[in-house]
Amino acid sequence: MTREELYRIAETWFQQQNWKPFKFQKETWKAFLQGKHGLLNAPTGSGKTYALWFPIVLNYIKKNPDYKTKHKKGLKAVWITPLRALSEEIRQSAERVTIDLDTQMTVGIRTGDTSAKARLAMKKQMPDLLITTPESLQLLLASKGYDKIFKDCTAIVVDEWHELLGTKRGVQMELAISRLKSISKQLRIWGISATIGNLDQARNVLLGPQTKALENSVMIKANVKKKITVKSIIPKKMETFPWRGHLGLRLLEDVIPIIKNSKTTLLFTNTRSQCEIWFQKILEKHPELAGEIAMHHGSINKETRSWVEQAIRNESLKAVVCTSSLDLGVDFAPVETVVQIGGPKGVARFLQRAGRSGHRPGKESVIYFMPTHAIELIEASALQKAVKQNTVEDRIPYLNSWDVLLQYMTTLAISDGFYPDEIYKEVSQTFCYQTLTKDQWQWLLNFLVMGSQSLQSYDEYKKLTIEEDGKFKVNDRGVAMRHRFQIGTIVGDTNLTVRYQKGGYIGSIEEFFISKLNRGDVFTFAGRNLEFIRIKGMQVHVRNSTKKTNRISSWMGSRLTLSAQMSELLRVELYSSYNDKKDQSKEIRSLAHIFERQRRESIVPKPNEFLIETFKTREGYHHIFYPFEGRFVHEAMGSLLGYRISLLSPITFSLAFNDYGFELLSDKPINMQQVIDNDLFTTDYLLDDLQKSLNATEMARRKFRDIAIISGMVFTGYPNKAIKMKHLQSNSQLLFEVFRDYEPENLLFQQAFTETFQHQLEEGRLRLSMLRIATQEIVWKQCQKATPFSFPLITDRLSREKLSSEKWEDRIKRMAALLMKK
Amino acid sequence: MSTKSIQIRNQNFIMHYSGALYWNEKSSLLISDVHLGKISHFRKFGAAVPQAAIHKNFQTMDTAIDFFKPKTLIFMGDLFHSSLNNEWDIFEDWVRLIAAEIILISGNHDIISPLKYEALGIKVISELILDTFLLTHHPEERDELFNFSGHIHPAIRLSGVGRQTVRLPCFYKTKSQIILPAFGEFTGSHTMHPIEECEIFALLGDAVLPVPIKEVKQKRYFRNS
Repeated sequence: MTREELYRIAETWFQQQNWKPFKFQKETWKAFLQGKHGLLNAPTGSGKTYALWFPIVLNYIKKNPDYKTKHKKGLKAVWITPLRALSEEIRQSAERVTIDLDTQMTVGIRTGDTSAKARLAMKKQMPDLLITTPESLQLLLASKGYDKIFKDCTAIVVDEWHELLGTKRGVQMELAISRLKSISKQLRIWGISATIGNLDQARNVLLGPQTKALENSVMIKANVKKKITVKSIIPKKMETFPWRGHLGLRLLEDVIPIIKNSKTTLLFTNTRSQCEIWFQKILEKHPELAGEIAMHHGSINKETRSWVEQAIRNESLKAVVCTSSLDLGVDFAPVETVVQIGGPKGVARFLQRAGRSGHRPGKESVIYFMPTHAIELIEASALQKAVKQNTVEDRIPYLNSWDVLLQYMTTLAISDGFYPDEIYKEVSQTFCYQTLTKDQWQWLLNFLVMGSQSLQSYDEYKKLTIEEDGKFKVNDRGVAMRHRFQIGTIVGDTNLTVRYQKGGYIGSIEEFFISKLNRGDVFTFAGRNLEFIRIKGMQVHVRNSTKKTNRISSWMGSRLTLSAQMSELLRVELYSSYNDKKDQSKEIRSLAHIFERQRRESIVPKPNEFLIETFKTREGYHHIFYPFEGRFVHEAMGSLLGYRISLLSPITFSLAFNDYGFELLSDKPINMQQVIDNDLFTTDYLLDDLQKSLNATEMARRKFRDIAIISGMVFTGYPNKAIKMKHLQSNSQLLFEVFRDYEPENLLFQQAFTETFQHQLEEGRLRLSMLRIATQEIVWKQCQKATPFSFPLITDRLSREKLSSEKWEDRIKRMAALLMKK
Repeated sequence: MSTKSIQIRNQNFIMHYSGALYWNEKSSLLISDVHLGKISHFRKFGAAVPQAAIHKNFQTMDTAIDFFKPKTLIFMGDLFHSSLNNEWDIFEDWVRLIAAEIILISGNHDIISPLKYEALGIKVISELILDTFLLTHHPEERDELFNFSGHIHPAIRLSGVGRQTVRLPCFYKTKSQIILPAFGEFTGSHTMHPIEECEIFALLGDAVLPVPIKEVKQKRYFRNS
């Protein structure tokens, strides 16, 4: 069949649906059928799924002209989705094509939710089109004879690539693709990405820099213009609107009319606990909405989630309170309105959420921004600008993630084994490991085989063995089993499953929350009041309760930071408080009284000013700095400055930071004039000082957590199954200390620090902002009391870092154990 | 301040910064929760914990023994972390050089056969009563006896002005008992909440420090995440 004939099949199908293929769809079909790889830049709801399912099916038709009568079995294409929740939707789109075209092709889903039985059936006979997640793809590579499964695979499509790009799951994808390139000769590699700042790099990472695949690839842009309207909800009584907070319940009543006036509304919250709280409170205040509103977040069980998703499609719900679990993909046509509660921290995320409404090509998207505290209105104003200017962020890909590579090498060793030279060649072609040296590679091999860099007496280390022909292989069933469980575990706190005593799975919850509960305590989870009975194995047993409670389940989850682009917009908005009223946005105008108050106690900084405030409270001496650069940069700058100050005289700090600034809190005052005179904001010796300050804080220690889990050093167990890990439980904290004291040169230990620099502290951004500060005039205000700007910072009792240059004894003399009195 | 002396029921005890407790009148050194073999156990199951840490436990035990030169060495349980592994051989060599009589009060982790210990001349028992003192692995309240135990791996969190906090392993003493800190490397700890009339002695690298206890109102615990 010629290409023209194939297109005609596709176009006929589009005509039957009364649709017309978009230009980008046709371009993608053509490139794919020409055997090209590529990256498709298209937003959700633009028809991107058909841009790639069609050529996959057409390619099969081309190779099997009698496709209507004869079915050639075996895997043809893999579709990767970052979220399990999306797989059902994608399957429906795919099946629509395969069935309508009478292809007899089968479509299957394989994710963490797939039953063992279904997985076994798949092992015997793979579907033609497989929809799966990065982790499940790794698990396939961990099964014997995986090369046969992928032999005739013609395509791998990585959907929502932008979501994976800046994560270790993205690195998992890079590695899997590097392997598939060798074993699937016909393979075409495609990514689908929403608009991000570094699209070209995204293609680079997907296909591998300087590879043949990249040479033979295209970038296709959908250029679907979508009209987005942002509306801020401005409190009617601004004077009483709080200066801090993150829940935003104060404006609950302003949200209700929005819900009532719209067909279906999605309310996005930033955290799962906030989601639980909002759901609870709406029902409490508006019982008439019972049955019409639902909740959706990642820790609720799959059945409930699917039910909610289905109910949105059926238009049987007025509103759903959700988290990022509904950020992606799924096509919810009935959603008319989206409400964002609290700052989304990034433009791309905000746009993505906005795009959930009017989810059809050409329709307008409406999003309401609801601030949770006053200062957030500045953010609201900045977002308006961002949407207008089409500003989007970069996603920074990982480099040299040794933990993921060790995991991958073990994966290959438990399936068919691997020959190091062959895999080295593949791995060093990926973006993440493009600088991998032979020495580093040897280090990793030694680590896996000997558990160290040289053989030592008394050692019983066991993981990989080298067979006679030089193949690296795992022969120990226990090692293999533990590894398989580990791949599927999402990195996070230890997860326990919550179920009723008589059975019935409700969801999963982190250990840190449950550990605070006693028998008989009632807590809210998944919208129900549950009484805690006991923990058994990895399960939490509960029963329904009618008691009221204010304990709401919470999750640690990482906090988001303002992106560089957002920070800049934010500063511009802040400076606009000096503009004429008519040139101000209505958000800024509504903040007039707060700016006035701030000016009374201190100042509102102008573009050429860098503000430092100091004051004393019962808690100690507060020193507050306002770079307005986002919390990650503040975290870095706070540690750096704290470290430099601690060199002047022995002192101990507790550090707090938010998106606007950071606080150094101490039990004695800092000599601020000395700080200014000594030029402590210099970028000289930046890296060196930062490294030393890191040793003094806990940041790298926390990064090490994920590394220890991914590299298989810490066994987390598996939420749904009580796997016996007797005497193998430890925690990454302990491990971190042992490495620090005995093996600080270990690559995994080192990785904790480089990751902290590159991803946590954004060293590059830090340098730029220090340079910017160097051009500003430092304004030091000695205030009488807390100012509006400082208020959210000084009341932040969480996520504090410590930094000290004092002797232990001196510190401890001033401290005491606290006897709690109820 | 590398040690701290206390009197309990007219007997003299000395706490050592390593976590060992010396009973003067009986010339006995009490050590709890060493968890020997834990690192080897992890390595055997494919987790490459640095081997160099293995020897630390033996060195620290030597330090404490050299300091007090006890006639009797009493392990308060969880001497070995799990089943036999090569660290047992190091242990055997080490035991041969110890002059003191060795007693093991068996803990929940001690699953190695008592016969193996007895072959080395180590007595394995489930508890020990000396005068009005009761030595067990798990903390216990019994009659009028004063209880020495381990198992918990106690630690304490200290707080100061400026939201400073620090966590340290400790001896935890009440009217009727002392819980010893975990002696071993790579063992972890459990944060204790002080109760009224308890005394706490924190381990600070090379010192033992009595900790003042301050009464405070319970803070409303709230976590945003």
